[in-house]
Amino acid sequence: MTDSSVSSRKVLSKIATNRLQKELTEWQINPPSGFTHKVTDNLQRWVIEVNGAQGTIYDNEKYQLQVDFPENYPMEAPQVIFLHPAPLHPHIYSNGHICLDILYDSWSPAMTVGSICISILSMLSSSTAKERPEDNDRYVKNCRNGRSPKETRWWFHDDKV
Amino acid sequence: MRCFQELKILFVIYRWHAVVSWTWDAHDETCGICRMAFDGCCPYYKLPGDDCPLIWGACNHAFHLHCIMKWVNSQIPQAHCPMCRRE
Repeated sequence: MTDSSVSSRKVLSKIATNRLQKELTEWQINPPSGFTHKVTDNLQRWVIEVNGAQGTIYDNEKYQLQVDFPENYPMEAPQVIFLHPAPLHPHIYSNGHICLDILYDSWSPAMTVGSICISILSMLSSSTAKERPEDNDRYVKNCRNGRSPKETRWWFHDDKV
Repeated sequence: MRCFQELKILFVIYRWHAVVSWTWDAHDETCGICRMAFDGCCPYYKLPGDDCPLIWGACNHAFHLHCIMKWVNSQIPQAHCPMCRRE
């Protein structure tokens, strides 16, 4: 994965560090089911393993999410992408970028890594077809210079999957 | 009778300490933005209480004043409640 995220370049503010430490402690006590946080000493980048939920088309599959926190988290959303290989899903591009409103326009500072994980698992679980978004090739080509998904102007039009 | 008078002077209060407790009357215990206790203070201030008040929105969700102001000011022109998205 390219070190693309603009957000990970600046160090976390004290406030962001405090909150992330609280989230990490909370996660260790009560992790969202289906997710494993890969332990590192880097508070600013979390790598999380996602297990496809039972009874869905991703059952028994494992994927990895990379979460990069901006300096002023939680006032700004973290950058969340799937590491290669990204699951085949109508809202997930082959470069790992995820079209999900809460990661961009609909972010709220009351959300947490845990709640993001649950939204992503729910998005995966409601999918009925393993396919890429229609504009996958065009979008991925436009991101070749290592653009962050947070710089994309997303258009959220499909609330079924 | 003499005994009783002696007893009376046995109780002399030299000093006393008043102990008062207070708490914010919010539905939650922690601020949804910074995740710190309401009875503590937000990360921007050092002293809980009047220096770091809570504020309730029209939707009745409470936050530390400093936390919600930071969010509202970053969401111009229209900010929504972090908990329920109400304007």
